[in-house]
Amino acid sequence: MILAPELRAQIEEIAGRYPDRRSALLPALHLAQRSLGGCVQADGVAEVASILGLPLAAAFGVQSYYTMFNRQPIGRYHLQLDVNVPAMLAGADALLAHLEQVLGIRAGQTTPDGLFTLSTVQDLGSCGTCPVLQVNDRYYENLTPARADELLTHLRRGQMPDWQPEAAWGSSCNILLRRRGNPKARELAEYRKTGGYQALEKALGMTPEALVAEVKAAALRGRGGAGFPAGMKWGFLPKEGNRPVYMICNADEGEPGTFKDRQIMEFDPHLLLEGLTIAGLAVGSRLGFIYIRGEFAWIAEILERAAEQARQAKLLGNDILGRGKEFEVLVHLGAGAYVCGEETALIESLEGKRGCPRVKPPFPASAGLYGCPTIVNNVETLACVPTIVQHGAEAFKKLGTPNNHGPKIFGISGHVKRPGTYEHPLGTSLDALLAEAGGVQGKLKAIIVGGLSVPILTAAEAAGLKMDYDSCLKAGTMLGSGGVIVMNETTSIPAVALRAMEFYAHESCGQCAPCSRGSHTVLALLRRLVAGRGSQADIEAVLHLCKRIKGSTLCPTGDAFSVPIEAMVRKFRPEFEALVR
Amino acid sequence: MKLTIDRTTVEAQPGQTILQVARAHGIYIPTLCYHEKTGAASKCRVCAVVVEGMRGLQLACSVPAKDGMVIHTDTAEARDTQRLVVNLLLSTGTHDCLACEKNGVCELQDAAYHLGIMKPAFVIDSGRGEERPDDSSAFIVRDHARCIACGRCVVSCSKNVINRVLDFGYRGSETRVICDDDRPMGDSSCVQCGECVQLCPVGALVEKKAIGKARTWELSKVRTTCPYCGVGCQLDLHVKGEQIVKVTGVEEGLPNRGYLCVKGRFGYDFPYAEDRLKTPLIKENGAFRPASWDEALDLVASKFKDIIAQSGPDAVAGVSCARSINEDSYQMQKLFRAVFRTNNIDHCART
Ligand SMILES: Cc1cc2nc3c(=O)[nH]c(=O)nc-3n(C[C@H](O)[C@H](O)[C@H](O)COP(=O)(O)O)c2cc1C
Ligand code: SF4
Ligand code: SF4
Repeated sequence: MILAPELRAQIEEIAGRYPDRRSALLPALHLAQRSLGGCVQADGVAEVASILGLPLAAAFGVQSYYTMFNRQPIGRYHLQLDVNVPAMLAGADALLAHLEQVLGIRAGQTTPDGLFTLSTVQDLGSCGTCPVLQVNDRYYENLTPARADELLTHLRRGQMPDWQPEAAWGSSCNILLRRRGNPKARELAEYRKTGGYQALEKALGMTPEALVAEVKAAALRGRGGAGFPAGMKWGFLPKEGNRPVYMICNADEGEPGTFKDRQIMEFDPHLLLEGLTIAGLAVGSRLGFIYIRGEFAWIAEILERAAEQARQAKLLGNDILGRGKEFEVLVHLGAGAYVCGEETALIESLEGKRGCPRVKPPFPASAGLYGCPTIVNNVETLACVPTIVQHGAEAFKKLGTPNNHGPKIFGISGHVKRPGTYEHPLGTSLDALLAEAGGVQGKLKAIIVGGLSVPILTAAEAAGLKMDYDSCLKAGTMLGSGGVIVMNETTSIPAVALRAMEFYAHESCGQCAPCSRGSHTVLALLRRLVAGRGSQADIEAVLHLCKRIKGSTLCPTGDAFSVPIEAMVRKFRPEFEALVR
Repeated sequence: MKLTIDRTTVEAQPGQTILQVARAHGIYIPTLCYHEKTGAASKCRVCAVVVEGMRGLQLACSVPAKDGMVIHTDTAEARDTQRLVVNLLLSTGTHDCLACEKNGVCELQDAAYHLGIMKPAFVIDSGRGEERPDDSSAFIVRDHARCIACGRCVVSCSKNVINRVLDFGYRGSETRVICDDDRPMGDSSCVQCGECVQLCPVGALVEKKAIGKARTWELSKVRTTCPYCGVGCQLDLHVKGEQIVKVTGVEEGLPNRGYLCVKGRFGYDFPYAEDRLKTPLIKENGAFRPASWDEALDLVASKFKDIIAQSGPDAVAGVSCARSINEDSYQMQKLFRAVFRTNNIDHCART
């Protein structure tokens, strides 16, 4: 046996927490990897599979799906540099070249002394503080080559320094980022002192129907990207039946340009817990999950700690505040897969499977986790719930524009002077946001306003844009997650398109032909174009593919790359043509 | 109920999908990941059709037929998606039909032919390198370069025959079918039942012994009952001239619905064995000599008589062959019970 008895016992214990033992597969692989020095090889996978009663192929299929699981030995320090679009705009390529030079290895290699393995990764959710390097479990943000040298010196001495990032933020709403500047807000006492859990107390006195009605009345639109009204979604749950209902918080936050949810989870974890608990009461769920991306392991610890405090204070558990209501929360770590942010892929992943989206219908509300009725909501959506319950739908609707109510965290990255997260009412003007972020560095060329998967806007198209769902749609793009990526005149759009495509081809779950084969093909064509070996026909082929892939895939990921890539080629075609001549 | 597919009105049964209705009436809609035994996976997206009144393209394999439905398989929009899928699969794999065992009975080739695709639309590096096919197992050759990741083998191995050897590993365009923890099939827990081969729509899984033996159109099928055990699985011998080239299970045949075990599917060499018995043999002075049937049966009968005369009927026992038909087994027990007058009669498939 390669896994220590204590570890096996721990895996058993974790398996017992879930309604289905298989859900413990990702946690078990994480634990095994940590205890086996950074990688789990064949014997380890076989043992994990046998503990959980799974076929070996299923366990290996899962292990090899998620990028955070290493199957080969790696260096003592695994240096993972985010090279995706926002990082690229912040100079990650130069940092990569620097690291390769000082370490004397290429990305994907390990130094001969076994100390460092250097990897490039796609998006770490630190778009406002990149370049960012993940060293084992820890993030090092705002890096420059000089700062990276300093870090290496520490690591060579066997120290992992505790550096806090310098992240800009601001808020005119004081709801979601209200406690962002208060380092004590993670503590329950402080959270309560500043008004926390009053909404939950109020909710305990309301019927589930009244809670759903209030959220419906507030017209709270989902902040995960699609803007679907949360109250309406909750109303889709079957009215009767004896199957359990599960409430899932989507904290996967994996799209380049998006780094808003972590601001809530890291700095105001109780706000999310309170929102999730109220949502659980509203939909009649007794078990909730926070599915958080695996790279955010330290944030998961913050959440777990907060949940434990809440449990102690009877804010969670089987008799909340002595009022006879029950709700429990499990924090579940992903393992490196963007598509697991898609709600049905998330559910599969939570069931201990490969993160492949399911065919809809059935929708999760009728058959989700373990086949039971399930609601999936984004972190920011749930964090809006306490204020709605406490102050009422009418107060909430005072913020924003018609049909687009409430606060929104906009994450601004790329070529601005103060990249960061800024909370303002929906409908705030893009110009004002850019101004708050210190203004564009140089001259604005193009902007992506809703995370990498929405169509790019030229500077002219972006002028005067109001940042809400409907206005963005009218402008030919989408508000998405509200991740704003700013590009000045030095930016090469073909280079951005290529980097974006590298992300999607890497992240495609591989399940359906138009996305897995299509992303691979578009990537190959863009690579050829950017390398100066392409032809006019390749440009046409990219456009042809994007047009056809749109709407033809099993889940929206096909659209997530075909729509933005098509927009980049169409709107900046001369730049692509220049590569051909 | 009635519905219209490409301007033809056809009859449909409740519970059928659009695809099932189309197939029942001989209307071709390209499919790759769908198989009756593994169900609609909605993964290849090649059966995209237009259904009037429904938004966007619909998958024929997944949409239930409804009375009055009007379906088009050949609009520009539907054809664009069907061609997209086939073109992408052709461009990102190695589909060199000239050298492929499945040439002529390949569902990808059929779809390409039907859609008028003569060569892959996109010329790119497939990114698959020069990986050699996996021929490590006794009877099956796997070729990832020809695999279209339809998943039929994975579902059949894990859910139908429940051997749980296959699954998908890795992801994106690197997704591929793995045996156990991605080891060669010959080192894996595979029992070589061959169900995955039978369901493979392309040339990614083929019968090793059949390679190079015949073009598919040279083969004729002879339906028969498996000679091995009393289950009586229905199988097709694929023969070229007098030679069996390969064996497949009969999908619509009972009791096995296409499933076979390793013996039934791959153990067809014995008719050609040089050392098989062609006449009865009688042992004299420690050595066998060929004999006629009459001589041999007379000898057996006289020995039985002697034994029964000397030691009584319970000194003999009969074990009937599991491969015999019911009538033969009946007569065997009748012989022992009524003629020999013993109850010592058994059957070799008891275990
Ligand atoms: C490829 C893909 C990735 C997604 N990633 C996320 C994500 O990281 N976080 C998130 O909340 N929603 C994500 N979504 C949207 C979810 O599917 C789902 O709509 C959302 O979690 C619902 O919550 P909401 O209604 O509160 O927005 C993603 C969707 C797709 C198609
Ligand atoms: S579009 Fe298809 S391959 Fe791409 S992520 Fe969705 S299901 Fe997977
Ligand atoms: S031969 Fe049978 S056991 Fe082996 S992989 Fe194929 S279906 Fe599974």
